[in-house]
This record gives sequence, structure tokens and C-alpha cells, in this order.
Amino acid sequence: MAFFEQEIHDAPTTFLSKYVFSFDHKVIAKQFLWYGIAFLGIGGMMALMIRWTLAFPGQAFPVIGTLLFPNTNGVVPPDTYAMLFTLHGTIMIFYAITPILIGAFGNFCIPLMIGARDMVFPTLNMLSFWLAVLSALLLLVSLFTPLGGAAGGWTSYPTLSTLIGSAGVGQTLWCLALFVLGVSSTMGAVNYIATIITLRAPGMGYFDMPLTVWGLWLTAVLNAIFLPVLGAGLLLLTFDRVFGTTFFLAGAAATSGSGDPVLFQHVFWIFGHPEVYILILPAWGIVSDLLSFFSRKPAFGAKSTALSMTSITILSTLVYGHHMYSGQMSPLLTQSFMMLTMTISIPSAVFFANWLGTLWKGSLRFQTPMLFSLGVVFVFGLGGLTGLYLATVSTDLYLHDTYFVVGHFHYTMAASVLLGGFAGTYFWFPKMFGRMMNEALGKWHFWLSMLGLNGIFMGMMVIGHAGMHRRIYNPFVYEFLQNLIPLNMFITYSALLMGSAQLLFVYNFIHSMYKGPVASQNPWEVGTLEWTIPSPAPHYNFAEIPVVKCGPHEYGNPNLKGKDFQYQTEELVKA
Amino acid sequence: MNEVMSKTIVTAKDGDKIISSVAMIVTLVSFGMLFLTLMMAFAMFRITAPVWPPAGMTRPDLFLPTLSTVMIFLSSFFYTKFEKNTVAGNVDRQNLTATLVLGLAFMLSQFLFWNHLKSQGIYVSSGVFASIIYAFTWIHAAHIVAGLGLLVWLYSALKSADKMTSVKVSSVGKFWHFLGIVWLIMFVTIFVL
Repeated sequence: MAFFEQEIHDAPTTFLSKYVFSFDHKVIAKQFLWYGIAFLGIGGMMALMIRWTLAFPGQAFPVIGTLLFPNTNGVVPPDTYAMLFTLHGTIMIFYAITPILIGAFGNFCIPLMIGARDMVFPTLNMLSFWLAVLSALLLLVSLFTPLGGAAGGWTSYPTLSTLIGSAGVGQTLWCLALFVLGVSSTMGAVNYIATIITLRAPGMGYFDMPLTVWGLWLTAVLNAIFLPVLGAGLLLLTFDRVFGTTFFLAGAAATSGSGDPVLFQHVFWIFGHPEVYILILPAWGIVSDLLSFFSRKPAFGAKSTALSMTSITILSTLVYGHHMYSGQMSPLLTQSFMMLTMTISIPSAVFFANWLGTLWKGSLRFQTPMLFSLGVVFVFGLGGLTGLYLATVSTDLYLHDTYFVVGHFHYTMAASVLLGGFAGTYFWFPKMFGRMMNEALGKWHFWLSMLGLNGIFMGMMVIGHAGMHRRIYNPFVYEFLQNLIPLNMFITYSALLMGSAQLLFVYNFIHSMYKGPVASQNPWEVGTLEWTIPSPAPHYNFAEIPVVKCGPHEYGNPNLKGKDFQYQTEELVKA
Repeated sequence: MNEVMSKTIVTAKDGDKIISSVAMIVTLVSFGMLFLTLMMAFAMFRITAPVWPPAGMTRPDLFLPTLSTVMIFLSSFFYTKFEKNTVAGNVDRQNLTATLVLGLAFMLSQFLFWNHLKSQGIYVSSGVFASIIYAFTWIHAAHIVAGLGLLVWLYSALKSADKMTSVKVSSVGKFWHFLGIVWLIMFVTIFVL
């Protein structure tokens, strides 16, 4: 419940205070959205270059290849290839998904959906964005250093990432960039947690919050707890590289007094496994809400969805060892981590069944946000099920570091988060910009993306199961992989299809911002608090702080007359 | 009359108190995880090594670290008095200054300690024990510097003496005491044990 009411500030007037150094959570959200979309483009181009190299080894990358790699006539060189997959992972995770899902939707949705006028610490919020910009600059600068950017994989395991593995300053800049980004995200997390605890509108208990807010809140909790773990690891790695400490240097720790590379793997995955849930939880929240909104039914078991997300959050902190099965871990430990990992299936199955229960016998409206949400249900189901083979020690030892892993984590972390992000973008676009996005283009975008991404990631699973390893420049020097060339070509064509489908989105997004049909206050007929105010939302959000009287998913109530939904500010209609 | 007014600090609103406590606790959990990770790394090296310190290294002399411990303990003690007076509504610059001076003395003892290590031939690159001592004290000292900045900033908060002053004082206090506790844990585990 709200501990106090925020004042209405005057609207900013100058260009700088309105669009650049803005304290307004909605403007910061849009800044994060642009930032994320820009990096999504960069990371996507990197993915296409990786795919091109794998399907057509030794051939020049079309159109921009000769421009980027003049020394090799447009062919991606091997060292650049290592840099590409490193930075593709880094950029997509930290600079595309994090800003879009957490930065943009977190900032935009939390105050609007809980009935607040802004975040509780607007200055911290602005600082968080500009630190993220600083971090992006550090990362981009690293590309132009003499030996190029980081090339030790996004996990940056020593010894690949110590001075022995990568001598250039690029890896150091990578560490610093991620450290700064970690500080920025932690600032955001502190802000989100404090806002949700203290600024909920009067009458709004925790279970009256939309599930989107639940997802973002749990994400913020994980961020606040586990980003500093990565921060500590990165600091020690930086010290190793710059000052000559020996934390991660290989060698017998006791006799020569040097360090242990495996320590970094532990530190990295203690952070890294929660990070997976940091990325997916906001998308789960958004999808849980949208499925209910567009099925015109109350979210099935909304409370148990929230609680199962919470238990997944807790469990996610206990399972990191399943990333290190092949690291000579004691069998007793691998078995324990396997058990704990399998336990995550239970809450996951609960909310997945809740999604299906929400859809069951609903009067579905197949608008673009709904299509993307259904896409998430499909790809997340597939991604989650394939995770079981990687959680099981005996099958993981075979599948470890193959393209099966790549397919699995792209289904869960990339495909579902991307589709969830698109669902959110199409859904909140009217409230952000006051105009509607084009439905027909949106549907084309959905179907082409869906076709493309399933081609890519399903294909990856097949070639991974056939034994193709990840992170190899030219796998076809191995005879047993040569008959996978056609499949690799198929994956690359799918990737090109998926990539070009995003052009539709970019066109739709920019065109609709200026030329789209003007949105009404509540175009989707949804009852959460952000739809009780005009579109686009005024700078103070709520002229009067709303009083919440019912839950966020009140649809199809038979006692309602004339409409099938009610606002959260209305008393629940009873017979 | 005006002079009397400026000597008293207005009591903070409950809402402001709760918000800053929530935010400060979350922030300290974050900082705590940073130091916990470092301690985990230390524990791993310490437990897996058959002899400690490894590779024939000698333990550093305890005198300067003990001095640091006394400094930071006393500075936290004076801060407690300062905070008590602030919440009671009095502007108490003496105890704040005492905290600040002792904090600076802590930093000085750290610099002396690093010099002492060097004179003993223990450099950053002399093996994992030296790495741990240097890296952990650096990271802790960087936070102390930030804390000293916050202490200086409190003088301006005391000058304005509005309803946020006591909130600022108690938030900075949480951070300062936290750094003291972290130092104490580091002192006991790395230097003494």
C-alpha cells in the first residue's frame, strides 16, 4: 500500500530535460527500448555472420562482408568468428534482452500498473540508464582495439579470458563494460523493489498486482542478489589481467601459490543460472497476463502462477552446478544438482498448466500481442522439455557443448524472451506512443519470425544431437560432420528469413509512431490500471491516485452487464 | 529564534523512513553478495590448500591490520552517537567529524599496510595469498572512499536540516557500519585465522 502520495511535477519543457536527461519513468523506458532494439540489430547481424560462416565456410559474407573484413575479401576470419559468438551472446543477453524486458517494460509497466506517479527514485533511474550507455560505449570501443573485442565466449572462462588466452585490451574492456552494466542493473533493481513495496495504490495487495509486475519484481530481486556475484568475479578477473593477481591462473594452488580457473566457473554460474531466470521471468509475467487479457477469462490460478514463479526464483539459486557436469565434479554433487534441477520442473509445470487452463474455453482474440504470447507458450514448452535432457547427467555428458545446448537455451532464453518482448511491445505501444501498430504487418511479422526461429533452433537441436560442437570455426574439417552441411544451410536460410522478418517490425514500429491510427484510452479492453488513463500516458500518469478494488484479471463475469471486463478501480460485480 | 530553529532537525515522515530503509537494505544485500563472493573464493583457496599460507609465503605482520580494525570500530562508535543525536533533533558536527577523521585514519593505515607489504617483498603478483590480501583490501578500500564521500556529503544535509536529514544520516550510517562489519570479517578470516 502506498506509504505516501508522490507530488505532480511540472511537465519538462526543454528538449534536454524532456527527451535526454529525463526523470520520467516512461521516457527512460523508451530510451531503454531504443537502446535494446539498436543492440538487437547489432547482435542479430553478428548471429547472421556466425550462421553464414557455418553454412558457407570460406565464402564472403554478402553485401557488407568486403566492407567489414577487407583483409580476407569478405570471409569472416577465425579470430573474428570467436569474437562474433562472444559478443553475440554478450550483446543479446546484457544489451538487448535486459534493456528491453527489464529496462523498458520494467520502467514502463511497474509504476503504471501499480498506480504510482513515477518510480520511487527517479534520479537513480536516470543514472541507471546513463550508466548502461557508458557500458555500451565501453563495449563498442573494445571492438576497435588492436586485437579486437573479447573472444573468450560470453562465459569468459579462464584461461580463455586471462592474459594467456586473450592478450588484447578488448577482454579487459569487456569485463569493465559488464561491471558497469551490473551496477546499472542493480540500481534499477533497488528502484523496482522499493517502488513495488512502497508505492502500490491503496487497496492493491501483492496478489492484486498484475503478473507482469510479479515477474519484474522477482527479476529485480534476483538482479539485486546475483549481479554483484558476477561483479566480484569480473573484478578479480580484471585484477588478474591488469595488476597480475593470480586468482584464476591455472596451476597447483598449494605448491606454486597460483589460482584456480574452475573458481571462475563457479562464480560465473552462481550468477549465471539465476541470470537465465532474470531474463525469462519478465516474459513469463507478461505472457501470463496477456493470455488472460486476450482469452477474456480470469487467469487460471493466478495466485499459484505467482507462487510458482516465486518458487522457481528460489530454486534457480540452487542449481548452478548443472552447467559444470563435465568439469570433473564429484558424482555425489552432480546427482544432487540433477535432483534440484529436476525439481524446477514442478513449479514450471504448474504455471505452464495454468497458461493452458487460462486458454481453455476462452473466447480468444487473435490480435498480434496474443499471437506472440501463444508463440511463447509453444517455444517455451519446447525449450523447457529439452532442458530435461541437459539436466540429466548421463545424457548431458553426451550433449554437453553441442548445438543441442545452443538450441535449448535459444528456445528458452532467446525465442521465448524475444516473442514475449514483441508481445509486450505490440500491447503497450498504444500507451507508450498514443498510436496503434499495424495489425496485418504484426501478424506477418509473427508468422515469419515463428517459422524462421523454429527452423533455426529445431535445426540446431538436430545437428547438436548428431554431434556438432558449438564454437567451432569450420566444423566440416571433421569428416563425420560433413553430411550436416545441408542442415546447416537450412538453419542459415531460416536465420535469414527470421532476420528479414524483423525489418517488418522496425518499419511497423517507426511508421506507427508517427502515422499509426490514434489509439483510444483502452484499445484492448483491459482492466489494469494503465488503461484507466489517456493514451499516451500523461507525464504524471494518474491525476488522482486510483483506489484498487478488484484483481487484474476480471473478465467474462456473468454478472456484468454490457461489457465483459471491469477495471481494477471498480468494485467486483457480484450476483 | 532563527538560531534555535536551525539547531533542530525536523522528524522524518514514516513513508520516507520506510522507503529508504527498504532501498538501503536491498542495496546492502547487493554489496553483501559482492563481499560474500570474495569470501567464497577465499574459503575455496583456504580449504583446498594443504598448507596455508601457500607456497612458502609468510603471514603479514598483524600490527597495521589491527590498527585499522580499531580505527574503523571507533569511527562506527562515534557515528552511532552522531546518529542518536541527529534523530533526537540536534546538529552534532563533532561526532561526524570524529567519524570522518577516523575513516581517513583507516585509509592511512591501509596505505601504510600496502607499503609495509611491499617492503616485505609481498607484491600483488606474489601468489594467491598476496592476491587475496591486495584485491580484497582494494575493493574494501574503494567502498570506504565512497563512504567517506557520503560522510562529507552529510555536512550539507546537516546544513539544510530538513525532514530528509535524519533519513540520510541513518542510511549512510547503515552503509558505514556495514563496511566496518565487512572489514572485521576480513580481518578475522584473512589475517588472524
